Amino acid sequence: MLEYDIVIVGAGPAGSAAALRASSSGKKVLVLERGPEPGSKNVSGAMVRKDYVTSVFGEGMPFERNVERIKLSLYNKDKPVNIEFSPENLVTTGRLKFDKWLSSVSENAGAMVIPKTTALKVNWDNGIAKSITTDRGEVSAKSFVLAEGVNSLLSMESKIKYDLKPENAVQTVKEVYSVKKEDINSMFNMKNESSGVAWRYIMTDPLVAGFLYTYKDSISVGIGSPINQLVERKIRPEKLLDDFMEKTGISDMVKGYSLREYSAKVIPEAGFPDINVSKSNVYLCGDALGLVDPLTFDGISPAIASGTIAGDAAVSNIDPATYKYELMKSSEISKIAKERKLEAEFMSGDKAKEYIEMVSSIFSDWASGNLFGIRNTMVNNYRNIIPDLMGFAIKMR
Amino acid sequence: MRIEEKLYTLRYKKDDKSHLKILDGDKCLECEKEYGDPQPCISICPANVYTWQNNKIVIGYENCVECGACRIACPFENILWNYPKYGKGIALRYG
Repeated sequence: MLEYDIVIVGAGPAGSAAALRASSSGKKVLVLERGPEPGSKNVSGAMVRKDYVTSVFGEGMPFERNVERIKLSLYNKDKPVNIEFSPENLVTTGRLKFDKWLSSVSENAGAMVIPKTTALKVNWDNGIAKSITTDRGEVSAKSFVLAEGVNSLLSMESKIKYDLKPENAVQTVKEVYSVKKEDINSMFNMKNESSGVAWRYIMTDPLVAGFLYTYKDSISVGIGSPINQLVERKIRPEKLLDDFMEKTGISDMVKGYSLREYSAKVIPEAGFPDINVSKSNVYLCGDALGLVDPLTFDGISPAIASGTIAGDAAVSNIDPATYKYELMKSSEISKIAKERKLEAEFMSGDKAKEYIEMVSSIFSDWASGNLFGIRNTMVNNYRNIIPDLMGFAIKMR
Repeated sequence: MRIEEKLYTLRYKKDDKSHLKILDGDKCLECEKEYGDPQPCISICPANVYTWQNNKIVIGYENCVECGACRIACPFENILWNYPKYGKGIALRYG
């Protein structure tokens, strides 16, 4: 049997951060990746904070375009209210190139990465993990990091966590269209191929969060919607994406360009801090802990943050309470724990719908000079807004 | 565009054995009574993996995009969901 100090399951952002950390402190590290290469099974929008990634992995991060403009479109029925702003430090990136690079940085620090290998089972002895069975044999280690993603089969089988419930999981589907660089520049009024946009959409009834990102020579578009809602209403996710593209005019934009890739991913909407983060010498991180920002859908930064902490935890073999405390100390992670409460509030009943309708009616009244309309909206809504705001303020402390 | 055409865009290596399995066929019958047609696994799957034929769920695992939503959506926890082995299944280029 092969023996290591630390075995890490998954060569995504969390696993590679853990591998980088653990091998940098001199440990003998093995990373198991089920895909043919790191990133080949991973799906994101994807937009990342370049300065944050660089602060952990160093210079050289591959990216597609700098996000010069973010547009947020709130749809009430058929007409959107658009808010535009210029962010800093955000870039779009393709996961295959991105994850391969993260993994190569961990390899340069000394980690051994084995692709095409599926981890099947953690073997325990007296409450302590001894080894992992894979489809190519067994590997033993002193401690383990499970960076296995949202479908955290080993964590569930080891009874560290339960599976997600339909109401705590968002189904997303995504399409990538091949579009010439110059065409993207003119479509989005960008000066050159290093500048791009990120568009976000929120629609009600059914509740849909959509996105469009520009890569160098392609456009990525997708939607997410809670699984319970899709199941109850018998809505097929690909149909929801088609309808979304139709409604927003994106289908016209990509007409005549070829579809390059179709993919799907579940986004976790529950997890840390309400679940176990580790058991004995086994540490969870990334999507396995449910660490995706519910407002921005950014799972990459919290994956890197938690992976880094998991790497340290595996090196010094800390107990669950200390690991949880260390995770909570990271602002990337504590932010999500706080936002979850707010999100639960927002998603309960018809609140999301009410607020979006309110905002869009205020803006359209404003545009048409209808001050009475604005006043009426405010008067009709204040009974809801004031208690909500007070509730949010208390929960966010 | 049909789902099957969309799935053609994916690089894919077929595993010999299905990584997906229905645990108990009777529960599917119960589910059909309670939830009607299409059942949760059928309607949540973005890749047409599941079809209802002769009172049975039939799995076309070679369509699977490995998202995991069917396992979460199944009201009877009746889907045994594993990862394909030996690096098989889908291989994304953009992700």
